[in-house]
Amino acid sequence: MTPSNLKWATLPDPTSAELARAAAGDVDAFKTIVERYQGMVYSVAYNVLGNHTDAEDAAQEAFLRCYRKLPQYRSEATFSTWLFRLALTASVDYQRRERRRPEPVEVPDVAAGEQAELGDGITAATLTAALGDLPHDYRVPTVLRDIYGLPYQEIADLTARPLGTVKVMVHRGRASLRLRLQAEREA
Amino acid sequence: MDCSYFRSRINRYVDGELGYLETAELQSHLSFCPDCAEELAQMSEVRGAMATWGRTELAPPPGFAERVAAAAALEPKPGEATLGRVVNDVLDALDETLGRIPLPGGRTIPVKNVLGYGLAATAVLIQVERYLRRTRELKPL
Repeated sequence: MTPSNLKWATLPDPTSAELARAAAGDVDAFKTIVERYQGMVYSVAYNVLGNHTDAEDAAQEAFLRCYRKLPQYRSEATFSTWLFRLALTASVDYQRRERRRPEPVEVPDVAAGEQAELGDGITAATLTAALGDLPHDYRVPTVLRDIYGLPYQEIADLTARPLGTVKVMVHRGRASLRLRLQAEREA
Repeated sequence: MDCSYFRSRINRYVDGELGYLETAELQSHLSFCPDCAEELAQMSEVRGAMATWGRTELAPPPGFAERVAAAAALEPKPGEATLGRVVNDVLDALDETLGRIPLPGGRTIPVKNVLGYGLAATAVLIQVERYLRRTRELKPL
């Protein structure tokens, strides 16, 4: 999957000179890259993990993996796509390692100018609360499928679960979200 | 008409997994079943909201980039060959070349995990074999 529909996909890639400096161990050059992409990586980690503490740890791990693998980056994929995949993998790995329930739902601060209304009467607050109430087993595949549009087979590989199980989890996750959000609107 | 038959297909419909005939059958049912049509509409709304949410950029905590840079400064330089990195690179290259091994039930497993389990099992067998040999050697005549 390429995050072509996502805002950060439009960010200009770091120049080859910037990448070369970071790959040679120039931490200042690497920090510039982190500053540019931290919103993307942190958002992916938050959406997969559902709380700020874990999201920060997983986002940091994703950037450290990026730092270690910089010499292997080839420009066949855009840098943002490559980093997006690292962020997804680091977040799913973190969730599998920690296997804990999210903290009580925190509605994250969105960058200035973003609307909290997501359409059809669903707000960011109600959606993140509903996602936070899903068991992790449903939440992670549902987020990967419906927020990031990953194919089911890729979700099965990432989460190390059988394809059929992943589909059932996504279907149940969607059903729970639909009922929960419907109840919120009726209340 | 049994709605449960069609409801089980709504997820596959939104995923674009239904064939031509199944799609036509479902669409025909939706045209006269307000309950199923409502379920599909609600599911589409939720998916639309999730896609919109996915485009929302969240602000990381203050000082995040500085903390990442400080952690990176403690790492060996990216190109530097350490034993761990060489082993990881070899395993990653194997993964990319050989892909994942399919298991029963649709599950797959990375090649490097298989190698890891294989090495761990070999180490255990060597220890067991050593223990048994030692026990035999100590056995009184």
